[in-house]
Amino acid sequence: MQKHRTRVVCSALLVVALAALGLAGSAQAKLVGNYTRFAQCPYTNLEVKKCLISTTTSGEVVLGSKKVPIEKPVVLQGGTLKGVEGYAKFVAATNGITLSKAPQNVPGGLLGIVPDASSPALVKALIKFFLENSLTGVNSTLELAKPASEIVVSENNLAGEIGTALKMPVKVHLENPFLGKNCFVGSSTSPITWNLTTGETSPPAPNTKIKGSVGLAEFLEEGRILELKGAKLVDNAWSAPKAAGCGGILSFLVDPIINAQLGTTTAGHNTAILNNDIFVGSAAAVRLNNEENP
Amino acid sequence: MRTKATAIGAALAALAVLCAMFATSASAAPAWKFEGKSLEGTETVLGGAIESSMTIPGLTTKCENFLYKLTVENSAGTGKGSVTEVPLYNCTTNSKACIVEKIGAEKLPWASKLTTVSTTPYIIIEGVKVAILYEGEECVLGETLVTVTGSAGGSIDNSKETATFNSSTLSASGTELKALGQKIEWNGLFPTEAFQWHREQALSVS
Repeated sequence: MQKHRTRVVCSALLVVALAALGLAGSAQAKLVGNYTRFAQCPYTNLEVKKCLISTTTSGEVVLGSKKVPIEKPVVLQGGTLKGVEGYAKFVAATNGITLSKAPQNVPGGLLGIVPDASSPALVKALIKFFLENSLTGVNSTLELAKPASEIVVSENNLAGEIGTALKMPVKVHLENPFLGKNCFVGSSTSPITWNLTTGETSPPAPNTKIKGSVGLAEFLEEGRILELKGAKLVDNAWSAPKAAGCGGILSFLVDPIINAQLGTTTAGHNTAILNNDIFVGSAAAVRLNNEENP
Repeated sequence: MRTKATAIGAALAALAVLCAMFATSASAAPAWKFEGKSLEGTETVLGGAIESSMTIPGLTTKCENFLYKLTVENSAGTGKGSVTEVPLYNCTTNSKACIVEKIGAEKLPWASKLTTVSTTPYIIIEGVKVAILYEGEECVLGETLVTVTGSAGGSIDNSKETATFNSSTLSASGTELKALGQKIEWNGLFPTEAFQWHREQALSVS
């Protein structure tokens, strides 16, 4: 009886050990080579058909009369579902950082968006304090205004340099201690919607047509990965809501000043030019690469 | 008085040179010929590529059967034509991941014309549009439509009765084909053979 019990316990331990080894093997599975860049792609979700990582390396965002050059890389990554009539919904990156937050320097700093001369006395006094303490830098950070599933990708349009290749709801976070933590242009209820194209735009006046490009295409891993080097995505037909929540409890005073500085931000007055290196991979190929490299 | 005569003489000489230049240019415009005689009316030229491939860096697509139907005529002494049919069959890629699910010529007919590039006769095909749908679970282009557009110039070899298209002939003729927003490589060797009124007659371009 004792011998039988020992045998059962040993067998159970062996099963547990094997299971643990199996789990360890699965946890250690990793992407190698060209597939490593898709580490944050939700490829284990079998509904995900493509993995995408796009790094915006340069470009500019013009919001009304303010131009912010893109100097720090911004990464958009995740997966896409099966397309419906050519348009595929996005799936968030596994680490939750679908669109990386890269603060870009706003030329002119605080005085550029909240000019001393035209501000009420209270604001003027506060600005003076921030200027004296060298807190004059303002950053502009692009953030997703809605869940990643609201991003839409059209590979046909991306490849064909026509129509909307990437539709993305965004908001612009203006950051400076004076502006507080909630100074945004755009929100989840009133986002800025970019319809980015690699083709030609048709903006309302005063903007004029600008052209994007798909960049230099190269297939990697025998057609399993497509690299688009220097893909230029553009949109200059978008509109932006007014800035809101700037200056904390003084937002009722500060928001109008910032909006006056931004000028008209209706369609035809704004531009987004994003120069990207884009990698698109077949999710099935990424899964296979992961399984093949325990 | 003598000066005036000299001036008139020089002007006439210049005019004569210009006329000669235009005459040369006109005679240089190649025409379709059968058994050495200029084609009158129209003729149908049929053929299939002896070999043909299209390459975007990293992915080459080949078609075993790349047929074409070309209606040709001479208009004001210059060869013209239009590609009316381009059936493409048995197309494959050099990738294990990607298969060609569908391929087809679009916006036919494609206009064509003859020209001369450094004494070599060329056929220029304009308005080319070929749509390719790739498939394959692991293929990154799965469900993505790739469209090849542009114009293509091929050199005509009268002795072999063939038209050759490659990066050199496209470059020499100032033509280009684009897919995924960039210039692609296309290689093709096509026999030229009349199929209607001038069947089995030697076809040349000059």
